[in-house]
Amino acid sequence: MRFFTATVLGLLAPSLAAATNLTTLSRLTLPSDFKPAQVFKNTNLVRNINLEKSYVRETVNVVVENVDTQPQSDYYIPFPADVIDRVGGFEVRDKKATGKGRFEVSAVEVISSGNQYFLVHFPEPLAPKSQITLGISYSVLSSLSPLPATIGQNDKQYLTHSFSAYILSAYQTITQKTKLKFPTTDVPDYTTTDGLKSGADPERKGATYTYGPYDTAKVALGTEYPITVRYEFTNPVISISLLERDLEVSQWGGNLATEERYWLRNNASQLTNQFSRVEWTFSSYQKAPTSALRELTYPLLPGSVDAYFVDDIGNVSTSRYRPGTAKTGANLELKPRYPIFGGWNYSFKVGWSNDLSAFLRKVAGTDSYVLKVPFFQGPKMAEGIQYERVVVRVILPEGAHNVRFETVEGASSNGLPGANHIHASLSSLKTYMDTLGRTTLTLEVNSLTDEARDAQLVVTYDHTLIDILRKPLTMFAGLLTVFVGIWFIGNIDVSIKKR
Amino acid sequence: MAQSSPLDVLLKGSSGQSTRGLLRIIILVTIAAAAVASRLFSVIRFESIIHEFDPWFNFRATKYLVQNGFYSFWDWFDDRTWHPLGRVTGGTLYPGLMVTSGVIYHILRFLTIPVDIRNVCVLLAPGFSGLTALAMYLLTCEMSTSPSAGLLAAAFMGIAPGYISRSVAGSYDNEAIAIFLLVFTFFLWIKAVKNGSIMWGALTALFYGYMVSAWGGYVFITNLIPLHVFVLLCMGRYSSRVYISYTTWYALGTLGSMQIPFVGFLPIRNSDHMSALGVFGLIQLVAFADFVRGFLPGKQFQKLLTSMILLTVGLGFGGLILLSISGVIAPWSGRFYSLWDTGYAKIHIPIIASVSEHQPTAWPAFFFDLNFLIWLFPAGVFMCFQNLKDEHVFVIIYAVLSSYFAGVMVRLMLTLTPIVCVAAALALSGILDNFLVMTKPNPESRAKATVEDSKSLRPTRDPVVGIYSYFSKTVVTCSISLYLLLFVAHCTWVTSNAYSSPSVVLASRMPDGSQFIIDDYREAYYWLRQNTPDNAKIMSWWDYGYQIGGMADRPTLVDNNTWNNTHIATVGKAMSSREEVSYPILRQHDVDYVLVVFGGLLGYSGDDLNKFLWMVRIAEGIWPDEVKERDFFTARGEYRVDEEATPAMRNSLMYKMSYFNYQSLFPTGQAVDRVRGTSVPADSPQLNTLEEAFTSENWIIRIYKVKDLDNFGRDHNNAVAFDKGLKRKRASKKKGPRVLRTE
Repeated sequence: MRFFTATVLGLLAPSLAAATNLTTLSRLTLPSDFKPAQVFKNTNLVRNINLEKSYVRETVNVVVENVDTQPQSDYYIPFPADVIDRVGGFEVRDKKATGKGRFEVSAVEVISSGNQYFLVHFPEPLAPKSQITLGISYSVLSSLSPLPATIGQNDKQYLTHSFSAYILSAYQTITQKTKLKFPTTDVPDYTTTDGLKSGADPERKGATYTYGPYDTAKVALGTEYPITVRYEFTNPVISISLLERDLEVSQWGGNLATEERYWLRNNASQLTNQFSRVEWTFSSYQKAPTSALRELTYPLLPGSVDAYFVDDIGNVSTSRYRPGTAKTGANLELKPRYPIFGGWNYSFKVGWSNDLSAFLRKVAGTDSYVLKVPFFQGPKMAEGIQYERVVVRVILPEGAHNVRFETVEGASSNGLPGANHIHASLSSLKTYMDTLGRTTLTLEVNSLTDEARDAQLVVTYDHTLIDILRKPLTMFAGLLTVFVGIWFIGNIDVSIKKR
Repeated sequence: MAQSSPLDVLLKGSSGQSTRGLLRIIILVTIAAAAVASRLFSVIRFESIIHEFDPWFNFRATKYLVQNGFYSFWDWFDDRTWHPLGRVTGGTLYPGLMVTSGVIYHILRFLTIPVDIRNVCVLLAPGFSGLTALAMYLLTCEMSTSPSAGLLAAAFMGIAPGYISRSVAGSYDNEAIAIFLLVFTFFLWIKAVKNGSIMWGALTALFYGYMVSAWGGYVFITNLIPLHVFVLLCMGRYSSRVYISYTTWYALGTLGSMQIPFVGFLPIRNSDHMSALGVFGLIQLVAFADFVRGFLPGKQFQKLLTSMILLTVGLGFGGLILLSISGVIAPWSGRFYSLWDTGYAKIHIPIIASVSEHQPTAWPAFFFDLNFLIWLFPAGVFMCFQNLKDEHVFVIIYAVLSSYFAGVMVRLMLTLTPIVCVAAALALSGILDNFLVMTKPNPESRAKATVEDSKSLRPTRDPVVGIYSYFSKTVVTCSISLYLLLFVAHCTWVTSNAYSSPSVVLASRMPDGSQFIIDDYREAYYWLRQNTPDNAKIMSWWDYGYQIGGMADRPTLVDNNTWNNTHIATVGKAMSSREEVSYPILRQHDVDYVLVVFGGLLGYSGDDLNKFLWMVRIAEGIWPDEVKERDFFTARGEYRVDEEATPAMRNSLMYKMSYFNYQSLFPTGQAVDRVRGTSVPADSPQLNTLEEAFTSENWIIRIYKVKDLDNFGRDHNNAVAFDKGLKRKRASKKKGPRVLRTE
C-alpha cells in the first residue's frame, strides 16, 4: 500500500503549496522508434473478454518468463493509440499472491506511434529463467457499437465488438486463447477462423465462446487476425461523459454533504423513426426489454437523508427516495423526465447528506483527522455504466492543512487505476462566509466503470482549534464593525442649520 | 390609584413610550414575516420554481445580467427570440426588477453566501411584500393620528389576496417590486406635501425613477400626483409647500424617468404624460399669480388673472392639438383606450383582448380579493372627507381613480389594493379607538359638573357624550374581531387555493390522497434542451415563448412580449391553415420544431385548441382573405372538433397536430377528448410535412419536427403516399386544365 504524501499546507498560502507536490500522472515520453527489449516470453496467455455489461471487461492471465541473462523488472503492455485513453481501471497483480496488492504501473507515451504502453514495475526483479503469473485486468470504454445503428422503438438491439485473435503483446507468446462471455445466447454473427488451429474455432458452449488455444511461438510480433462478434444487448449503453462529485465536510454541522452532477448519454442504437409515445406507453405496460433508459437505481449508504434529484430546470418530480433500514441502506430511484433513447442526452444532479460521525475520526491526542468516504458511488445498473471522466472534490473544513489521501486497496481490484493515474490537486474554495477558503482536494480519473462503486477514499488532514474558531470570531468581528460603523455614522451631524 | 401593576411601569411615562415603540417594531416585523410566510405556499408544496409565463423571461434576463454584466445587459440584442427579427431586449424592458435581484445576488456573493440566482428571483416578491407592509404603515400613519391605523393597514396589506395574487414566491414579475415602490413613492409624496421640503420631494423623484425602471404602471403615479395637485389648486389650497414638492418631483422625476431606454422621450412626447407637464405649467402660473397678488390691488389683479388664464388655456390647448396632429406628441396608446372603453380591445386589438388578465373584473372578484376590506373602504373614504387635509384629498382621488380602473381590468385590482387597505384601516381604527377604550367619565367630576350647571336644563347638564356601555363595546369588539379572523382565514384560503400554483407544474391527487405531480411542460422542455441542436427554432403559440426561452433554451418565433402583431399573426396563420399553406411558412421561418399544447387526454383546459379561435382571429386581422373565423364554426355556429368539425378545422395544422395518432390510444372508435367532452373522429389525421418528434407523458405537450424537403424533389403528399404503398395518383389526368365540354 502506497501512502501518498500530498502536501504540507502553509496556513496562508494553501493553493501555492498545493500545486507543487501533489500533481502526479507523469508520463514517460519515449521516441517514436521505441521497441521494448525482448527480455520476456509469454509462456501461456488466457484472455477473458466479458461482454455482459455495456462496456468491455478484459482480464488477461499470463505466465511470463525472463529470457534475458539479467534480472528484469519492467514489463511493457501495449495498446493501440486510439484505445489507450479508453482503458479504465488498469491493474496488474501477481496471480499467485493477489493479497500483496497491485504492481506499480506507469503510462508510457511513444511519440506518434501506433502503439502506446503501460509499463509494469515488478516489486522484485524477476530472475533469469524464472516465471511469474500476471493477472492483468482492465475495461475498455466505448468500444461497442450498435449494429444496425438505428432500430425501431420496440426492436432488439445488437452490439458488435472487434478484436484480434492474437493478443497485442510486446513479447513473443507461446500459446494463447481468448474466452468471450456474452450476455445471452443470441449471437447472430461471429467470425469463424480458418487454419489457425485444428477443429472448430470458436468453440461454443452456451453464452461462452472460446477462440484458440493457438500456438503462436512462430507468429511474428504484431500479427493481427481480426474477429468481430455481434450479439443481442437490448439494454441501454449508459455513458457518462463527466461526473462531478463533491463531498463537503462540515465539522461544525457534523454533516457530510454529497452532490453529484452527471452528464449522461445513451450510446445505444438510435431511433429509425421519431419517438412514439403510443408505442412507448404500450411497451411500458408490458415491461418489454428496451434499449432506452427508463430508470436508474441508486443505492445510498444507510442513514442518508435529504436526497434530491434535480436538473437544470428544477426538481425532477418523478424520482422517489426510499430511506430503507439501517441494514439495507437507502435507495434513490431516479426516473428521468423522459425515457432516454439511443443518442439522447440527460444531465442531472443528485445529492444527499450523511451524519459525519460515521466517516470522520479524530486521531487521539493530535489535531489530525481521518476521513474515510466512498471515492465513488453512482447508480447501480445491471447493464453497467461507463464514466469517461470523474472529478471528485473533497471539500475539507476551512484551514485544513497537511492533506494526504490514499485509496483503499484489497485483495481484488477496486475498479480504480493505480494511485499515479489519479490526478490530484489542492485548491481553496470560498463559500458560506469563509475568509481563507476551504481546502479542497480534487481527484480526477479518466475512464472508469461502475466496478469502482465500492472504492473507498481515505483523506487525512490537520485542523487546529484556531481553525475551528476562525469563523465565529470573524463573524463577531464583522458584525461589530457594522454596528460601530452605524453608530459612528449616526453620530455625524450633517444638518445645514445653524448650530 | 396607589397600586401600580408591573405593566404600568412599561406603559406609562417616558419608558412607556419606548416600550410602545418597541412593541410597534415587533408588531411590524411580525407583520412583515407573516406577509413573507403566507407567500411561500408554492415553495413548500412544490419547489422553488419560477411561475407562469412572464416571470420566465424576467428570470432569463436576470441570468443574462448576472452572467454578462450591466452594460451588455443594457445593450442586449436577443437573437434567440422573435426569429428571424430578434428583439432589442435591453431597450424594450423595464430593467428595475432584474437589476434589483442582480444587486441582491452580488451582495450575497460578496458576503460569500452561495445563493443561486433562481432562489433570489423566487423569493424577491415575498421579500418585497414585507417591505410593502412597512411602507403601508408609514403611508397610513401620515393619514391618521390614531396609533392603530398604520399597523392595521400594514397587516391588511401584508395578507390581502389582491396583492398576494401578484407576489407569491416564484411570481417574479415587475409587480413584485413595483407595488412596494408605488406605496413608498406615495408616502414620500405625502411627506413632501406636508413638509414642503425639497429633500422629501427629491426622494419622491428618486423612488419615482426607480418605479419607472420597474413597471409600466408608473403612468399611474405620473397622472395621480398631478391630479392631486390640480385638485388642491382648484380647492384653493395652493401653498408654497405644494409648489416646492411638485416642481421638485416633476423636474427630477422626469429627468430620472428619461434615463430608462424604454421610456426615453415619452415623458415629453406621449399623451399619457401630458397632464404632469400641464400641471407643472399651471402651478408656475398660479405661483406667479400668487406672487403678483401681493403687489396689485384686487381689481386689477382680477383682470390680469382672467386674461392670463384665457391666454394660457388657449395657447396650451392649441399647441397640444397642433403637436398631436403633427405627430410630435404620440397619440394615446391602445391599452390606454381600452381603459375607457372595455369593448375597444376586442374590436381593434385582439392580442390585448386575448389575455385573460385584461378582461373587465367580475363583481365577486372584489370580494374574493379584498374580503371585508371592500365594505370598509367607502367608510374609510368618508372619514377622509370629515377631516379633509391635503393628504386626505390624495386618498380620495386615488380611491376614485383606482376603483374605476380595477373595474375595467382584472389586473389593475393590484393598484386598488393599497388604497383599500389605507381606507379600511382608517375606518377600522376609528371604530377600535372608540370601542376598545375602557375608561368611563369620572363620577366625581361628573357630580361637580352637575352642581355647577344645576340651573341649566337637565339634558345639557351632562356634557359627557360617548359610548360607555360595556355591552355595546363587547358586541362591537367581538364582531370586529370575528371579521378580522374571518379575513385572515379567507386570505389564507385564497392564497393557498387560488394563487399558489406555479402553472408550470400541475398537481393532482392520487386515489390514496398523496400528491401526484403532472410535470409535462418541463419534461418536454427539457427534452428540447437536451436533444435538439442548440439553435433549433421552435414555433409555438406566443404564450409559451418565454417558457421555451427559459426552460428549453431554444430560439422561438414569438413570445409573450407581443411587440410584433404581424409576426404573431404569421404563426396564427401557420397554425390555422392547411399543411400546404403552412409548410412554406414554416420553411421560410427556419422552423425546426412545432410545439402544441393538447389537454385532451388529461382534461387540461388551457390547451391550444381552446385558444385556437384567438389564433384565427389574430391571423384574420392581417390576412382577412385567407383565414376566416367563420370557417371554423359549423353551420349552426358551433365550435366543434368531432366528426362534424368543419373542413377548415379538420385541415388546420393545429387540429392535425393535436389529434395526430391520438386515436390509437383508445379502442377503435372510442377516442374521447376530455377537455371538450366530445368523441374524436375514428381516423387519425394525416400529417405529411411534419413528423411527431416527442409527446410528453400525459400528452400535454406535443412536439413535431418539420420535415426537410424530399430527397427526390416530390412534394410531401406524394412522398408519404408512396411510402405507404399507395398507388400514385394520375396527376396528369386530374390536374389538367379543365376544358369546357362543348358537345
